[in-house]
Amino acid sequence: MASAVSEAAPRPIEGAGENGWRGSGAGYLFLTPWLLGFFGLTLGPALISLYLSFTDFDLLSTPRWVGAANYVRIATSDPKFVAAMHVTFLYVALAVPLKLAFALMVAVILNKGIRGLPLYRAMFYLPSLIGASVAIAVLWRQLFSGDGLLNRVLALIGIQGPSWISDPDTSLYTLVALSIWQFGSPMIIFLAGLRQIPKDVYEAAEIDGASRSQQFWRITLPLLTPVVFFNGVVQTIEAFKAFTPAFIISGGTGGPIDSTLFYTLYLYQEAFAYFRMGYASALAWILVVIIAAFTALAFLSSRYWVHYDG
Amino acid sequence: MLYPLLWMLASSFKPESDIFSSASLWPSHFSLEAYQRGWSGLQVSFGQFFLNSLLVSLSCVIGNVISCSLTAYAFARLTFRGQNIWFALMLGTLMLPYHVTLIPQYVLFLNLDWVGTFLPLIVPKFLAADAFFIFLLVQFFRSIPRDLDDAAMIDGCGPLRIYWMVILPLSLPALATAAIFTFIWTWDDFFGPLVYLTDINTYTVQLGLRSFVDSTGKSDWGALFAMSTLTLLPVLGFFLAFQRLLINGIATTGLKG
Repeated sequence: MASAVSEAAPRPIEGAGENGWRGSGAGYLFLTPWLLGFFGLTLGPALISLYLSFTDFDLLSTPRWVGAANYVRIATSDPKFVAAMHVTFLYVALAVPLKLAFALMVAVILNKGIRGLPLYRAMFYLPSLIGASVAIAVLWRQLFSGDGLLNRVLALIGIQGPSWISDPDTSLYTLVALSIWQFGSPMIIFLAGLRQIPKDVYEAAEIDGASRSQQFWRITLPLLTPVVFFNGVVQTIEAFKAFTPAFIISGGTGGPIDSTLFYTLYLYQEAFAYFRMGYASALAWILVVIIAAFTALAFLSSRYWVHYDG
Repeated sequence: MLYPLLWMLASSFKPESDIFSSASLWPSHFSLEAYQRGWSGLQVSFGQFFLNSLLVSLSCVIGNVISCSLTAYAFARLTFRGQNIWFALMLGTLMLPYHVTLIPQYVLFLNLDWVGTFLPLIVPKFLAADAFFIFLLVQFFRSIPRDLDDAAMIDGCGPLRIYWMVILPLSLPALATAAIFTFIWTWDDFFGPLVYLTDINTYTVQLGLRSFVDSTGKSDWGALFAMSTLTLLPVLGFFLAFQRLLINGIATTGLKG
């Protein structure tokens, strides 16, 4: 309690020392819930998970140390892992750039000063907000099923559509489409970024006779690269972690023939369907390494293409 | 963009035979049958799922607002030894995919006998597990003038009172953003309940809907759409009421949507 009662002490000069209210007591008092969570739910479990990834663990018996066997099996003889990697990378490579391109395009159009901007902004953002729910996955499953809405519309103009979801050649693309449909949140961040670009730059370019497309490629895009970078990193990480739509649309199987076996779905199956907790831990750590590598790559490459004003 | 959603909404009011006969939105005649079939389509009614979701989501909102604001206050307004290191670690947890901690957490909750209850979904929120919101609140707290703290300190306030009577009241927009996003994300969360809830009586709406999909399959799209629409309602309601706040929140902080 003593730390909560403060005398009229002179305020410490910022940066001059670490002593606010009687030293560090108050800070740590406020930090207690987070510290408990950090050690109990994050750092501790992360270390245990690293340990488990070197074991055979079925939840019931004690973990049995197997060395690098899990990782070796993942790297050399696990066709499901290869399928999951293939699906996930294809999904990331398609969904992220398309979604960002779409988001940027719409943001640029909306930024031209369209009437009813708040309405459009809200309309485009809504799918982003509800996209993670089971209801949307259910809707998607219907839209793209063999006798779903899309094929019925196509039939009106005489096209016989494939059974999108139960066809392994097209099933992943329905999930890519879902991801693109949720372009609202990067779009809003693009809009905020576009608003930061000073108008007089365009006026100057106009006087110099720059065309609309020149203005976009030479001014808008370079000045927007920090936002593109941010959106790219966030969306890539999100895409690697996608789970719910694939789970619902494939009925939890990742089928047909593993064509929607997202990495996280495979991890879930290993852990909670087959109770191979050690193996699943190894899979989780590989995901961490992949995400970290991508993020690091993005940061390293950003020196060459992200322009911070100055 | 909204056509699929509107179509789902419209289909939920159409008689079953009507859903696929036309792509038009307006039902030939208006029917609530699908809602009746769906509501009690499982051995547990959707009412129970709604209560469960409401309980979990509101608890998570309370947990996140309290614990994240306490943490953010310490980082933004207090000085203490090791502050920068802790702050860096906190930011580091932002990048860590939850899959890494998932299995040990599951084992922990299993040993605590919490699996099958709401506790694994709620308790982490009281321990400031959502670093996103800590970060958002730190940014906001830092923008509040320091002079206010000094004035309150001279008046004899300790940190707890400054937090409670100065910082929190001035941060209502940021706290509301955190609260609303927490509610929506918890309401929509599928993975957590999928892993931790085992008894159908404890299912949240997302799990209820999933069970409903499994039990009815493709046979009853009307009821499926009716229940889907219902599970979206609270989120839609929040969206309509607070869209400005939500959109500003995402534009300034980059919270994903």
